[in-house]
Amino acid sequence: MLPKFSYIRPDKLDQAVAQIQAGNAAIHAGGTDLLGCLRERIIKSEKIVSISGLEKLRGVRETVEGGLRIGALTTITGMAEDPLVRKKYPGLAMAASEVASPQLRNQGTLGGNLCQKPRCWYYRGEFHCLRKGGNQCYAIEGENQFHAIFGHDNICVITHPSDTAPVLSALGAKVQVIGPGGGRNIAVADLHVPPRDDVRAETVLDQGEIITHVDIPPPPAGLYTSYRKVRARRSWDFALAGAALALVMDGDRVVRASIVFSGAAPVPWRSREAEQALAGNTLSDDTIDKVCRAATAGAKPLRENRYKVPMFRGMLEEELRKARLQEKA
Amino acid sequence: MATRDKIYYTEGLPVPETPDLGTQPAFWKKTDLVGKPIPRVDAYERVSGTAVYPSDILLPNMIYAAILRCPHPHARVKKIDIAEAGKMPGVRAVITGDSKEAKGVKWKYRDMEVPLFDSHCRFEGEVVAAVAADSWYQARDAAQAIKVDYEVLPFVVDYERSLDVSVPRVQEKGNLLSEDTYSRGDVEKGFAEADIVLEQTYHTQCELHTPLELHGCVANWDGDRLTVWESSQGVFAVQSRVAEALNLPLSKVRASGHYMGGGFGSKLWPGKYTVISAMLARKAARPVKMLLSREETYLCAGNRPAGTMRIKAGVRKDGTITAIDFDCIGPSGAYPAGGVQLVDWLARDLYLCANVRTRGRDVLINAGPARPFRAPGHPQGAWALEQMIDELAKAIDMDPVQLRLKNVPLKSQAREGTPPYTSTGLRQCLEKGAEKFDWQASLERIRKFNEQNNHLRRGIGMGACLWVAGGGGPPSTVVIKLFRDGSINLNMGASDIGTGTKTIMAQVAAEELGVQPAIIQIENADTATTQYATPSGGSKTVPTEAPTVRNAAIALKQELLAAAAEDMEVPEDELEYIGDEIIWSRDAAKRLRITEVSRLKKRGVMIGTGYRGPNPADKVVNPFAAHFCELEVNILSGEINIIRFLGVHDSGRVMNRMTFDNQVYGGIVMGIGFGLTESRQLDERQTGRLCNKNWHDYKLPTAMDVPLEITSLPIELDDPESNNTGAKGLGEPVTIPTAAAIANALCMATGVRFTRAPVSPMEVVRKLSERKEG
Repeated sequence: MLPKFSYIRPDKLDQAVAQIQAGNAAIHAGGTDLLGCLRERIIKSEKIVSISGLEKLRGVRETVEGGLRIGALTTITGMAEDPLVRKKYPGLAMAASEVASPQLRNQGTLGGNLCQKPRCWYYRGEFHCLRKGGNQCYAIEGENQFHAIFGHDNICVITHPSDTAPVLSALGAKVQVIGPGGGRNIAVADLHVPPRDDVRAETVLDQGEIITHVDIPPPPAGLYTSYRKVRARRSWDFALAGAALALVMDGDRVVRASIVFSGAAPVPWRSREAEQALAGNTLSDDTIDKVCRAATAGAKPLRENRYKVPMFRGMLEEELRKARLQEKA
Repeated sequence: MATRDKIYYTEGLPVPETPDLGTQPAFWKKTDLVGKPIPRVDAYERVSGTAVYPSDILLPNMIYAAILRCPHPHARVKKIDIAEAGKMPGVRAVITGDSKEAKGVKWKYRDMEVPLFDSHCRFEGEVVAAVAADSWYQARDAAQAIKVDYEVLPFVVDYERSLDVSVPRVQEKGNLLSEDTYSRGDVEKGFAEADIVLEQTYHTQCELHTPLELHGCVANWDGDRLTVWESSQGVFAVQSRVAEALNLPLSKVRASGHYMGGGFGSKLWPGKYTVISAMLARKAARPVKMLLSREETYLCAGNRPAGTMRIKAGVRKDGTITAIDFDCIGPSGAYPAGGVQLVDWLARDLYLCANVRTRGRDVLINAGPARPFRAPGHPQGAWALEQMIDELAKAIDMDPVQLRLKNVPLKSQAREGTPPYTSTGLRQCLEKGAEKFDWQASLERIRKFNEQNNHLRRGIGMGACLWVAGGGGPPSTVVIKLFRDGSINLNMGASDIGTGTKTIMAQVAAEELGVQPAIIQIENADTATTQYATPSGGSKTVPTEAPTVRNAAIALKQELLAAAAEDMEVPEDELEYIGDEIIWSRDAAKRLRITEVSRLKKRGVMIGTGYRGPNPADKVVNPFAAHFCELEVNILSGEINIIRFLGVHDSGRVMNRMTFDNQVYGGIVMGIGFGLTESRQLDERQTGRLCNKNWHDYKLPTAMDVPLEITSLPIELDDPESNNTGAKGLGEPVTIPTAAAIANALCMATGVRFTRAPVSPMEVVRKLSERKEG
């Protein structure tokens, strides 16, 4: 069952960092998935350091520049309901409200959501897969209807489970990290690790490093944000196909576009092809059609997930039409 | 005839005969309590948490058990080493196939007898060893520490390939377990007479049992007497299976389960875990609690088998169905378990048709055996038949409700001698349902909506059904005890599996005895203190037990009248029982409250015993239903939003409108899971193991997947022939036509026929993009 572990809950950040650094500790924040990971031997730690007592890492604050600084321990519900988040980046609030179920949103944290372990049923099940140190990705030849169509390089075909990361990535947000070597910034877009770089790691964080805050730059004029998530059931599920949009509009013209997919790849998947097809254009039917085709042009679907190609296209088409309606309104 | 049908809930169970009561009491024309929406008699206990479920049992010195299960779909146990596990902290007993306790202990999968600990493991999750320890965690850890040397064998888990020549054999005799055929009339002649003949293949997935309370029990020995508290639909089935396995007299095995947290067919009988718990308890000389984990129940506690159904049907332009040819294949799992049981029943019996031929092939695969699953076979059969009926209607340009109305049978065509039904509410279900749903106007409204041609499309659809059983029948024995203060014990062997059985029985007894239901305390589901009853399943608990309770109440009244005649010194046949008083018919001033009857005062108790009488000879008691659904599909994303559902049910007399409606809501929710979200996924091409064994990966519908608007419309037909209460079964028909109604609505919305369940957004997008490309 559960391995034996010690548990410590410091109330100061430096103590937490020291505790995490000393030994192979696992971090407890919201704790929605930690016990499951320990039970399924996904995390093998004999020490749990809970950072849930670090009150300073909780809450949303406006920065002097007009952006937001969100503490890593802010709950997903806290983000979904925060008036500043809703006003400045509605897409982020939408993403937060689409996470899991109400109970999990009340408990889960932003930091935890960004650092989630994958949900692949082979990885979570009793299969000694590549990501767990084995020598094979079972999903490539196996039951892969929920798996990646981009960025897997036929190495490991998980999809990244986060709903908040795609929006934060599209907004150009950065995570503030503290660790044994001091602090550093990492763009959310660079936080996650594709399998070709390291199939055993989900984030670039070093052992002992924790995310303390997420900084989101001030919203530029004409910013339109949204998040859409298609899933097999309407609550408590991960994305089959999801998209975060951050469009900077000038009238009905898209000046700059960030489009990041969830449910698509082992990392939040930025579709540069879609962005390029959109940037500089108005949201005409013709443009939307081109963007949707460009978005899936490079897809490498697997045996059971070919449906994702039309699903991503269809979902993106709907989202871009919504953006057009919004701009007209 | 229904009473002589081989029905799964009595199969393999020793069923004693009970005396024939003879003349049944008169049918109730008017009732004061029966039918009223009375809240459940145990609602407070259930909601407040004071109700003691088997999972809640805590005994002094109780220890916990865990089972080590085979991780391969097919393997032979070569060697088991328990040395390390036996020394682990808290461990008090370990049993494997090598243990002396296990020698000669058998388990039965239907008619097939195998060792309880079988070294030849034919499915992932088969029992290999068991441990009892002071804590649940210690037991689990010790089970994991048992070293097993397996010879891993080739397997087959894809039932559609199970009959190929090259696949491994699950059992020595081969993978075709049985082939059943049925025929009436001349199907080829029927097709020749048709204006339209259509043929289509449908698939339904394997659905896993997910009752909220896990499977498990507590076992305790007192000398040579065993008590088992089990989460069960039938304590007498637990008693007989455990007594048989351990070679004990029935009197030495007490099985009890006053409350249980859902079974849906998977708890009609106990599991290997029950016998193993008793063995561990004896070995450790402690009470043992064993609750399976959810992962374990997903492997070994049963499922609704997947199925492939080919249906060919012919219709004339006037709506006459001239022929139905139905062929299905489905897997029992690794042992006989009814892989295609009743899948063809609706094709045989739901609609008028002179020429019908069916074939069902039950095959073996290396996966957990099936168990009865709410209306076995029927939702699958409805998925195929009810979509085909819609296709036929479209082909002859007839409204699908009208086509069904043209073919309502009054007799059971598939039973020998074509016996009539005691009542057929199918016509009323269709007519009143279409009216309540506003079918015609909705069609128009939706056609207009879809003309806007945006990415949201709407559809309405419906499906109808009957349920093969639902008439109940003997045996059942109920005892009603009247205490001298006028309060009552109702002593009944049947389980209340969450449907409200206890409440309805209190209403029946109170109706007959002229008292308030609150004064009746129900003692049930305990083999030591209540009389024999068959497990609660097959939608037969109310039609079996309610007449028996009524008979018991009448027997008690007769006792009281005889005793009162002595007290009042008037002839017994001049006395009447009105309310809770006995009144002389010649002079109403001469009356006696039942609590004043001297025999009752002296003895302290009076007893009435009721037996379930036989069902009507040469007639069939079946419930009927129709479901109507409106939904919206996003043709870009594949998402389905069910907007409203209507469940119209002819189940005879409504015994309690609240519990009735609850069944309808619950059945529709379950049907939505079958139609849209749930599906067992095995790793077919690699390891054969179960991929989705948790509640995230096995997708039960959530509250968000269920429409706000679900309406229940009872069709209450008088059915005095069915039994003396007029109630027919309800718990299963409520989930039979649900998924088919959804599929028919999806077809209207998209123009595409979804033949493969469940219809997830993945399936919608897949099919719609095929159409685009095609």
